[in-house]
Amino acid sequence: MIQFELEHAHGHGIVLPELKIGLDTRFSQHLIQVISHAHADHVPHKTKRPILASPATIDLMIARGFKGDYEKLDFYTPFETDVARITLFPAGHILGSAQIFIESEKGNLLYTGDFKYPASPVSEGCFFPEKPIDIFIAEATFGLPIYKWKPQEFLDKSIVDFAKKHLNNGYTPIFLAYNLGKGQEVMHALAKAEIPMTIHDAGFELCKVYEQYGFHLGNYKKLGDSSHQGRALIIPSNALDSGSVQKISKQKVAYVSGWAALEARRQQMIIDARIPLSDHIDFYELLRVVEQLKPKKTYITHSPNPDMVCYFLQKNGFDAQPLGEHERGEDS
Amino acid sequence: MSESDYIVSFKHFAETAQLIADTRSNSEKAEICAYYLKSLPDSANQKLAVRFFGEGAFAAIEKKRLSIGHKTIAEAACAFLELDYDYVFRACKTATGSSSEAIEKLMEAWPIGIQKRSPELHSLSEIAAFFVHLADIKSKEEKLRELHRLWSTLTPVEIKYAIRVMHQYSLRIGFEEKSILRAIASAFSQPLEDIRYAHMLTGSLEKTLERSGKDTLQEVQFSFFKPLAFMLASPLHTVQITDFSGFICEEKFDGMRCQAHIADGKVELFSRDLNPITESFPELQSFFLNRGLDQLILDGEIIVFKDDEILPFQLLQKRMGVKKPTKALLDEFPVAFIAYDILAEGKELLIKKTLSERKLYLETVSVTHKLPISLSYSVQTLDDVKSRFDIAREHGNEGLMLKRTDSSYEFGQRGNQWIKVKEPAGSLDTVLLYAHAGSGKRGGYYSDFTLGIRANHHKKNEEPYFVPIGKAYGGYTDDELRWLNKEIRGIILDRFGPTLGLKPQIVIELEFEEVQLNKRTKAGYTLRLPRFKAIRHDLSIYDVDNLDDVKKLYEAQLHRKRLKNFVEPFLIFPTA
Ligand SMILES: [Zn+2]
Repeated sequence: MIQFELEHAHGHGIVLPELKIGLDTRFSQHLIQVISHAHADHVPHKTKRPILASPATIDLMIARGFKGDYEKLDFYTPFETDVARITLFPAGHILGSAQIFIESEKGNLLYTGDFKYPASPVSEGCFFPEKPIDIFIAEATFGLPIYKWKPQEFLDKSIVDFAKKHLNNGYTPIFLAYNLGKGQEVMHALAKAEIPMTIHDAGFELCKVYEQYGFHLGNYKKLGDSSHQGRALIIPSNALDSGSVQKISKQKVAYVSGWAALEARRQQMIIDARIPLSDHIDFYELLRVVEQLKPKKTYITHSPNPDMVCYFLQKNGFDAQPLGEHERGEDS
Repeated sequence: MSESDYIVSFKHFAETAQLIADTRSNSEKAEICAYYLKSLPDSANQKLAVRFFGEGAFAAIEKKRLSIGHKTIAEAACAFLELDYDYVFRACKTATGSSSEAIEKLMEAWPIGIQKRSPELHSLSEIAAFFVHLADIKSKEEKLRELHRLWSTLTPVEIKYAIRVMHQYSLRIGFEEKSILRAIASAFSQPLEDIRYAHMLTGSLEKTLERSGKDTLQEVQFSFFKPLAFMLASPLHTVQITDFSGFICEEKFDGMRCQAHIADGKVELFSRDLNPITESFPELQSFFLNRGLDQLILDGEIIVFKDDEILPFQLLQKRMGVKKPTKALLDEFPVAFIAYDILAEGKELLIKKTLSERKLYLETVSVTHKLPISLSYSVQTLDDVKSRFDIAREHGNEGLMLKRTDSSYEFGQRGNQWIKVKEPAGSLDTVLLYAHAGSGKRGGYYSDFTLGIRANHHKKNEEPYFVPIGKAYGGYTDDELRWLNKEIRGIILDRFGPTLGLKPQIVIELEFEEVQLNKRTKAGYTLRLPRFKAIRHDLSIYDVDNLDDVKKLYEAQLHRKRLKNFVEPFLIFPTA
């Protein structure tokens, strides 16, 4: 089996010491650094060698100010080192998000990064290698049996209904959604209903990358550019306090996140609606994926309750154990 | 299912409750509830609905209880779902922060929860009858069987609200009694004031609703020995007033708020939360009766009063909650009642009269029956308030109460008619231990913080450890709150639903009203009304104050010098 260890103290990446590969590692330590996707908690601070990632991930990172060296690696196209083969498979989390598949003489390892199955509609889909998996390292941000996502069509409809209802009543509908990934999912839903949008400036350049890769995001403009009259507003939650948003007198706020499934979020953030649209896999789909892949060994990471997923996997007869600290990504 | 079956169903109730929960504006919440109440065909259904919204499985005035604890319900749910309580349920509950919400979600998602249920409609009266039936069952096993039977016919959202109703506490939908009264007022087109007034006297949502429907609100009479909701004061820093010419001021005693009902040779005392406390203070009973007081409702303060002096609140605490106190305790900590308002005399309720008028009534009673009352002074400017405040502090009193002379007694309200002026008792350097996502703040900020005090001594080579000393949710600026929210992201140790456990690192100087003894906490003390004074970037966790410092502050409070009442008197205490 391939040996691996957690990148302790620095980040929450994974190091394959024998193969000299780092998966979402913060520091290179003379490794080949492979980056699963462009969310900040997966992107390195400093790089000594070019990082390896999908073309869309690289373009998103550059749009967010990444200045290091890189090499773009297409999905399904193996990258050979002297001891290993690295292949990226779409992870369905955000545009460019990849699962990283490593093969070597000692066996193989599939690292999901953040993933979603069924995939986000504004991603390249979610596909797994067809070979039998030895080691499966999966994230379980929502690894509790209380998390079961509603169908995409239902959630898209909630988004559109919220926007239409409040636009009709003369309010500005505001969607609190993360700039990269969730924001574009909301836009994708609103674009289909031909609702014009205003988006947070920091998300604007990222939307251009989505469009380059063929995703239609509809009629939108930057928050900075004048009036929002008759438009839906899409901003990250920390922008709700900004002057340009506060001066909108008639507003209705929807919180779009997997965490919106929890009632407590209503009390914590003054909002008018919770729309539990996540870009992570839910508990039940995760169990199903393991059932489908039948890996020899499964490790659960990025979960507040890794033991729980393992408990159910073990009950289903799988070899599973938690991996590392209880960290959680910036997105959800 | 027919439309009319749905209208009177528990499902309709539960879905309305969820809609109210998912609505932000209070007036919209009340409108949704009013619309729902109006849709119900008769008063019997409406009464059950307001009972379930505001009082629980049984009307508040009935003393019936289901006597099924939270844990029992959760275990019953685990048995139904065939899930392990310790291993699975506990984590789900921690994540949601609510046992009933965790049950709802599991009923909806967990395959066995789906399989075992085939929902059918139950009317509100069927559910009410079920609660009575459940309360009458003695054996725990049978209770659980009955619960399972009910759940197998309900939807997840009905199960959640059935559990919350059973627990006889708030439905957690941000819709408390005040809002229910607003909904009743709207549903029956009655003035809210009349509804609130009638409700205070009936003490029952069902009765209030019935009266509203029959247009007989005016007939509700007050009676002695039914407490009236207290009128409350706002802190000075929350109101924007500079001209105090419409106000009088009184010194604010370091005591316990109390409402005294005296009628027909009987005395009953009620605490702030409207519970009877008469048994703890037998000397007050005889005091009132000996002085010939009758047919009165008085609002005032209980204090420890010895040798013409008010003793600190900490000593009064030794009497609080002690039923049938011993003679030794009575002699060591004798109490007195100082009246500052009068709410009823004879058959007449005086709460709609102005404060000036009520004060006249009170003074007359004081003269005739030698009743101790507090003295009031007129003030004009903020400077007058300040100098009065200094005098009050010299007297050893807490501060001042400012009251508008033309105000009526606004029962149950905290408005700007009464204003309290107090001074912080001190400050301590503490460390941030937990952040709680607060209500009211926008954009998902953590706005409530639990602060810790060092529990071991400042010796070298010993790592400090901390115990909670208070929870603060104010005093910081918007910028400071933003800074805190950014900073705590990097020091998260644990997550418990909406709460973050933090690595001790950020030092906060806390200001507070008072140090109180509290045996139930690890620290042994709690701070009253703690708030941020400053974020101490200059201090490290090694500089955090320890429990000895807290103790010293407590002792200092206890032994503060007090001027006697003779200089600039603040109360009249006639001797019999
Ligand atoms: Zn991510």
